[in-house]
Amino acid sequence: MDSRKIIPIATLLILLFFPLIQFFPSVFGDQNYVIHLMLYAFYYMVMTSSWNIIGGYGGFISVGHNAFLCIGAYIAGYYSIMWGVSPFYLILLAGIGAGIFGFFVGLITLRVKGPSFIISSIALIMILRIIFDRWELVGGASGITLPYNSLSVEFSKFPHYYGFLALAIITIYMNWYVRHSKFGLALRAISHDEIRSAVAGINVKYIKVTAFVLSTFFIGCAGAIWADYLTYVRPNIFLIILIAANVVLMVILGGMGTVTGPIVGTIIFIAFNELILSYLGATELNLLFTGLLLVITLLYFPNGIVGTLKNKGKLPRFLDWG
Amino acid sequence: MFIIQTIILGLCLGFVYALMATGLTLIFGVMRIVNLAHPIFILVGAFAAYYLFVIFGMDPIFAIPLCAATTAILGAITYKLVFEKDAGSQTYSEMTVLLTFGTAMVLDGTLSYLFKNTQRITSPPYATDAIFIGDIFLPTAQLYSGLISIALIVGLGLFLKFSKLGIAIRATSLSRVNAELVGIDVKFVCIFSFVLGCALAGAAGSLVSFVFSFFPAKHWEWIAILMSLVVLGGMGSILGVVISAAILSVMASLVGAFIAPAWSTMVFFVALFVMLLVKPHGMFGKYLE
Repeated sequence: MDSRKIIPIATLLILLFFPLIQFFPSVFGDQNYVIHLMLYAFYYMVMTSSWNIIGGYGGFISVGHNAFLCIGAYIAGYYSIMWGVSPFYLILLAGIGAGIFGFFVGLITLRVKGPSFIISSIALIMILRIIFDRWELVGGASGITLPYNSLSVEFSKFPHYYGFLALAIITIYMNWYVRHSKFGLALRAISHDEIRSAVAGINVKYIKVTAFVLSTFFIGCAGAIWADYLTYVRPNIFLIILIAANVVLMVILGGMGTVTGPIVGTIIFIAFNELILSYLGATELNLLFTGLLLVITLLYFPNGIVGTLKNKGKLPRFLDWG
Repeated sequence: MFIIQTIILGLCLGFVYALMATGLTLIFGVMRIVNLAHPIFILVGAFAAYYLFVIFGMDPIFAIPLCAATTAILGAITYKLVFEKDAGSQTYSEMTVLLTFGTAMVLDGTLSYLFKNTQRITSPPYATDAIFIGDIFLPTAQLYSGLISIALIVGLGLFLKFSKLGIAIRATSLSRVNAELVGIDVKFVCIFSFVLGCALAGAAGSLVSFVFSFFPAKHWEWIAILMSLVVLGGMGSILGVVISAAILSVMASLVGAFIAPAWSTMVFFVALFVMLLVKPHGMFGKYLE
């Protein structure tokens, strides 16, 4: 086995057993916050990797992908209260719901490219925000409140940790699969030139919409777990532009259209964010630095970390998955 | 009577929206930049008007030149720092959307850090006054801001139509390469129209400051509204923006009056989606790629 496979597998094994340190508080202390940060990173990895399918390979930059996160969260929240089950059982349902919604949105918005598409994705968030703020069935602006899980505090994050880890692995695998499949090849051809791809015999509409649905499906799944983790679903938490901006920034930082780019970008961004929060503490400054990072990355490293290193031939082998 | 009044109020607001969006569409037409930072420039103008009013007691209408100058300077700085580097490159259009998105976040963060996210509104004496014409009730704030917006838009239109620089701007927005061929200094035209667009944003900001209550995070809502106007009007067409602003704003105020005020902004977003569905390239605009 070469180093290319050993490092990811070793990391995965460590991540699988990492939460077990919670069983030995006398040795390691209480590491709940570290576990929170890690599951937060997995949560964003699900979003960045699935965003990368349509945004990175397809070239359709959406700054409204949290709309599907919100749909997933609301489906899981609403039915878990109605049926009295944990949102964990509803992950698939949430994903499928978000996917169906994504299908109809994609049919409309994927007709245009570039600036108009970006604008339509912003408008999508605004529309959902207005609807959910006033939809009494799902609690209006105060949203849905979910019960806490019955685990004791030090183990209460375990289900979310493993849920997000599993989801992140599936999404990253999907990302890799799309990158190396014929489907992904068609998608990348479309991102360069739609008309020529159509001439070459690619069913442009089918490929675009499928990629969009695929990417919204995983985000919907993540929404279900995130709803259970937060224990409430509220429009002003899920439908803010900052979430989508973070996702876009993470992917651009790591490298758009690469398999490992979204992962690297997510880790670096969350570490950077933690530093700002712990030193400055103000959320307004957080927004300022996020924007600054986005501008600087776009101006000086438009290919992102993974892309730039790859162009220079200096990318470590374990990050080189295409 | 009620309907007529709603329509007139909608029209007044529509012209303010049109002024807010003309800078945006001008910048897009000339430079192919979708300036998502435009609404935050409007907010900067509004904050300038607010503090001029609070500290010096300056009337927001007379403060328009000062507010416009503030945002023009800010716009020139932004242009130098952010856009000058890769003007004219291939993936330009999409890159600049994200660049302006980042710029908007930076300015939003700065404004919220400096002024905090509380609601503000300037209150000159006419802000709470109203005129009655027969049974029709007209708040002077909306009336004045609507009239001044029309005046500014007409002024801009005359400038673009007749002055030499205006003709150069129109030529550049038709075709960059051909404009360069006939000896127009395209680089200067780009900078000038970007700064002009930002100045219009500042002017709109000082009008907005007494029509809407505002806070730093408000611009995300405006982005979607203004962009839907620009897309609907056909990107780059000023007349298109004015017409679509008038129509949509009247529709929005009718929805607000007869259904519920909260749903009125929905009109803009739904119109955007319907437009993308029916005619993705706008009513009056050129083909957009």
